[in-house]
Amino acid sequence: MSDVALPRGYAAAAPAGERIHRGEALAAWLLTAPAVLAFVLMLLIPTAAVVAIAFTDYELGAPALRFVGLANFAELMEDRGFVTSFRNTAFFVAVTTPVSIIGGLMLALLIESGTRGRTFFRAVFFLPVVSLMVAMATAFQYMFHPTIGPVNAALRGLGIVGPNWLGSSDSVMWTLAIIGVWEQIGFNMVLFLAGLTAIPRDLYAAAEVDGVRSAWSRFWTVTWPLLGPTSLFVLTITMIRSLRVFDIVATLTQGGPNKASEVLLYTMYTEGFTFFRMGYSAAITVVFLGAVVVLMLLQTRVLDRRVHYG
Amino acid sequence: MSQKLSRRTTLGLMAGAATIAMPNVVRAQTIEVVAHYSMPPIFKAAMDAVAEAFNKKSDKVKVTYVNPTPTYEDGAQLVLRQATTGGMPDVSFQGLNRLRLFAERSIAADLKPFLAREGDLAKLGYSNPILGLGFHGGVQCGLAFATSNPISYLNVDLLKKVGASAETFPTNWDGVIALAAKISALGDGNSGMFFRWPGDDWMFSALLYGHGGRMLTEDESKVAFDGAEGLAALRLLDRMVKEGKMPNLTGNADLQSFGAGKMGMMFRTTAQVRQVSGMVGSNFELQTTILPVIDPVKGRLPTGGAGAMMTAKDPARQAAAWEFIKFATSAEGTTLMTKNTGYVPCNQLAIDDPMYLSEFYKANPLFQAATKQVHLMIPWYAFPGQNSVRVTQVMVDNLARIVEQKATPDEVLRDMSREVTRLIPRRQG
Repeated sequence: MSDVALPRGYAAAAPAGERIHRGEALAAWLLTAPAVLAFVLMLLIPTAAVVAIAFTDYELGAPALRFVGLANFAELMEDRGFVTSFRNTAFFVAVTTPVSIIGGLMLALLIESGTRGRTFFRAVFFLPVVSLMVAMATAFQYMFHPTIGPVNAALRGLGIVGPNWLGSSDSVMWTLAIIGVWEQIGFNMVLFLAGLTAIPRDLYAAAEVDGVRSAWSRFWTVTWPLLGPTSLFVLTITMIRSLRVFDIVATLTQGGPNKASEVLLYTMYTEGFTFFRMGYSAAITVVFLGAVVVLMLLQTRVLDRRVHYG
Repeated sequence: MSQKLSRRTTLGLMAGAATIAMPNVVRAQTIEVVAHYSMPPIFKAAMDAVAEAFNKKSDKVKVTYVNPTPTYEDGAQLVLRQATTGGMPDVSFQGLNRLRLFAERSIAADLKPFLAREGDLAKLGYSNPILGLGFHGGVQCGLAFATSNPISYLNVDLLKKVGASAETFPTNWDGVIALAAKISALGDGNSGMFFRWPGDDWMFSALLYGHGGRMLTEDESKVAFDGAEGLAALRLLDRMVKEGKMPNLTGNADLQSFGAGKMGMMFRTTAQVRQVSGMVGSNFELQTTILPVIDPVKGRLPTGGAGAMMTAKDPARQAAAWEFIKFATSAEGTTLMTKNTGYVPCNQLAIDDPMYLSEFYKANPLFQAATKQVHLMIPWYAFPGQNSVRVTQVMVDNLARIVEQKATPDEVLRDMSREVTRLIPRRQG
């Protein structure tokens, strides 16, 4: 077949090539169409709609809406609830991210270097990841109960008067951060474990030959640089997960007492779905999206360049 | 060719659709009313019983339910969403304090004309106080279906430890606060009392109404809780913390304490009787009684619970929906509701005539506390305007400052009235 077609092919080479090219492009578009369609329908259009609603006074169930320009954003700046909520979210991210990353790394190193019970400890620390937070809330409410909770009972045994963990506006964000760390540390540990197994053993041998003796310098010269890509991924995912804190607030404190535990997503939820102020809630979502984008850019632009990819 | 095919397919589809739609055309005489409710763990048994009884009795109108929503809040969201996207039910059962919000958005129909057509309302058991529970801003937004009021839950074992008993339980707050202090002095993680102020403004309004106060003035143009009654209500809350040693508990932590037998008295809605008695089991002796009385003459209590509202728009469907609403709130309907939930009946006939419920209360004495307060029940106030629900959060936030002892009742009253004033609609002109 081909040897017959070949001579004629010379004449028609250019248009045929174009046709093949066009065919390929068409095939490519057809093949990606489901994904593109899903992306546009499920992500792009809803996001655009949220941004559009943020400039209106739309209320759930209201027959009409009005374009209000930047009024929602102006109100945000003056809203004590929103400002507190922004600050609390920043606090939560600032505490849970480093603690759960360093903690996760330390757990991974300990488990990796251990000789016995590795599967057991891996499972134990991974359990919080697979447990449902809404169900765990009751347990935490009891654990941190000011009068009958085991935590304060233990402290009483030591002669210390425990704080009102979830009930006091001074300690509530710390308590939520503890729960946040508990929730994330296991996930980070598993990611670091995967990263650790990928480090070639002979590098440690080489380092030993080069005179690296202590565990610390072994970690600092071999393990840590080679964990770079893993760490970047863990950092990104932990920050975004911390930023998204919602369920523990919704189930444990409802943002109280007196807004002391309001966080961005919870404020967004109450404004939109409890107070039905969709426009205002959409404005909070836009701020939230902005924060996520800024974090992502920082990580990819700044940190990514400094990571050593094997 | 392809065009022909598609045209034929379309025709085929249309024919198919027509065949499917046929039975409905033929049976047009029976109207199927679609109803919606929330909180199935509490209401499913009652709703099913009401629907079954209604469908047996009525042959022109039948009722079916859409999937119930988990909370009142979810239920409100669902109907508000469907008001724009379509697919609304014909009848929806919503939290009593949210009925107004639907009426103001023209989603709930005014039931006045339907009531007017019925003639003598007293004969149907719709007394004025009962109608008042769904009457806001001149509109009959809905009819009360299941009502509740705040009561006292007592751990009799703990009361006995400090020399008190259910029989000698104080009927005023002074006595209760003194008792709470004694129980909390027992130590060992015991606390005397918890008054459920977080969540919403309902329990605070119990203190305010108890003093004879009200939220806004009669014409709803100004805050009315900033006077002596409001201050007294806040001072009472302050005393519960200062003298009664009331701990600051979040979420369901009070239920956990009480269920563990470590709390003497808990002040909450009667709607929780079933849950609390199940939780307590035989750990200790549980009793319920009326909420301590503040002002025996002027004092009132807020009403919680659900009301039925009409979301149907078409006159024929509205007439059918009205038949179901009427049945659900009739003496028969309210009896089924009470037997299955323990909520307070909302039909005067069922309240007055022992034939309906006396046996139920004999068998379930814990439910009786709420019925002794029926004559005190007034509507749970629903604030006008777009910030209707937001106002309640402002109040809860301010109450937290007292419970945390970060502000005095005077300061809180001042801030609260200023913040609420900003959120209620300004009078035109």
